[in-house]
Amino acid sequence: MVERPGDREGPGGQGRTVAEPPTLDAAFVLRWVRGLAGAIHEHRDYLTQLDAAIGDADHGVNMDRGFAAALGKLEADAGSSPGDLLELVGTTLVLSVGGAAGPLYGSALRQMGRALDGSGPFDGEGLLVSLRAAEDEIRRLGAAQLGDKTIVDALDPAIHAFERGLRSGEDLAAAATRARAAAEDGMRATVPMQARKGRASYLGPRSVGHQDPGATSTALLFAALEQAVTAEGP
Amino acid sequence: VIQSVRRAAAILRELGSGHPRLGVTELADRLGLAKATVYGLLRALEEDELVEHDAETGKYRLGPALLQLGNAFLDGHELRARSLLWADSLADRTSEAVRVGVPNGANMLIVHHVFRPDNSVQILEVGAAIPWHACALGKVAAAYRDEHALGELLAGPLPRLTGRTVVEPTELREQLEAVRHAGVAVEDQEAVIGEAEVAAPVFDHSDLAVGAIGVAGPVERLLPEGAALAHVVAAVKEAGRGLSRDLRGVRRYARQP
Repeated sequence: MVERPGDREGPGGQGRTVAEPPTLDAAFVLRWVRGLAGAIHEHRDYLTQLDAAIGDADHGVNMDRGFAAALGKLEADAGSSPGDLLELVGTTLVLSVGGAAGPLYGSALRQMGRALDGSGPFDGEGLLVSLRAAEDEIRRLGAAQLGDKTIVDALDPAIHAFERGLRSGEDLAAAATRARAAAEDGMRATVPMQARKGRASYLGPRSVGHQDPGATSTALLFAALEQAVTAEGP
Repeated sequence: VIQSVRRAAAILRELGSGHPRLGVTELADRLGLAKATVYGLLRALEEDELVEHDAETGKYRLGPALLQLGNAFLDGHELRARSLLWADSLADRTSEAVRVGVPNGANMLIVHHVFRPDNSVQILEVGAAIPWHACALGKVAAAYRDEHALGELLAGPLPRLTGRTVVEPTELREQLEAVRHAGVAVEDQEAVIGEAEVAAPVFDHSDLAVGAIGVAGPVERLLPEGAALAHVVAAVKEAGRGLSRDLRGVRRYARQP
């Protein structure tokens, strides 16, 4: 079937109950990943410093390398669906990032992509479903619970805040702002926690008093998401 | 006097657990003791350099004498002392990081760590305590312990550190049986996602496993295709055997395949 310019916004559609039309397209994914890659590059030394206190001192460097590689792949890709693009980012991270961050973020983004069915743009509900798929995957791989001082401590409250925003009728931008704020609160809340996962857990009580690098990069991810949903264009 | 020693130990532990600088009042609150008591103990600890007083903030932190004591503990460890050369040569042969551990309750205490020889930034893990069931060092040390000790270890707790950590006692027993058969333990991301370890036991003259030596590194390098590389297994076994020989505990290795 040949698609004509008028078809997309044509009447009828799927009889959606959501007020907003789906606006999260391939250009959104590109904006998000570009913003995130930039933020991680900017905070590379900070992430590494956090990791040096309780981990292996490689989080910043690994994430920077991985997201730079993923951005390169995305920019070279034209015409893929948003879901396929997220899968591509995930696969690139798994292959190019060492340590725990590559498998965790990579597998999570892959699951995000797979959770977006269909080839067209998606809306806030679609984003919520795919974020939940990402959290499920991270919990499965890491066996992490809330309070273990991991990515989950920023990711879980952010997703819940995003959902509350959507349920209370906020637009996508407002819900994304809520999510970013909740991720940052969650990130700060890891400081007094004693790590129960990862290399940080070997330190026992000495891990108390340090902010978790994984929760910090997750907060950057939601800050980039907030920027990406409000902006337009690639 | 015993009570004072206990309280002094509690102060040191408090300063060593994520609150590196605490004032007298904070310490007194945390320990539920009178300020005068805590102050007296701190002064005594300070005299022996076990704590330091920061004149600027008025707070206390751990003192330099503790580092000397920690080093003395490590130096007094025969396994560690004997392992230095073996660990260096194992790191050299495998191009991976090497760790030597001894059982300490339900954990393996890392007493020696040689960095991966690739000039990358790494963090010293000496002093780290890794749950025995989640690392190759611990599996291999447990595999050669007596049934009573093993029963206590399997009774737990057995925390899940990643989605791959084996925590079922029956499954762990099967793993240990396989370890005894192979003479090495291989761990695949059970302690930290993305990391693997291959370890061999170290025996002393009593023919009991006193510890273990192993290489740890990125899973894609250590276990390509999901299995340990033959030359890594051979090098780890040789280090375990050599170290056991130095500790006059070779009989057990002689019986192994």
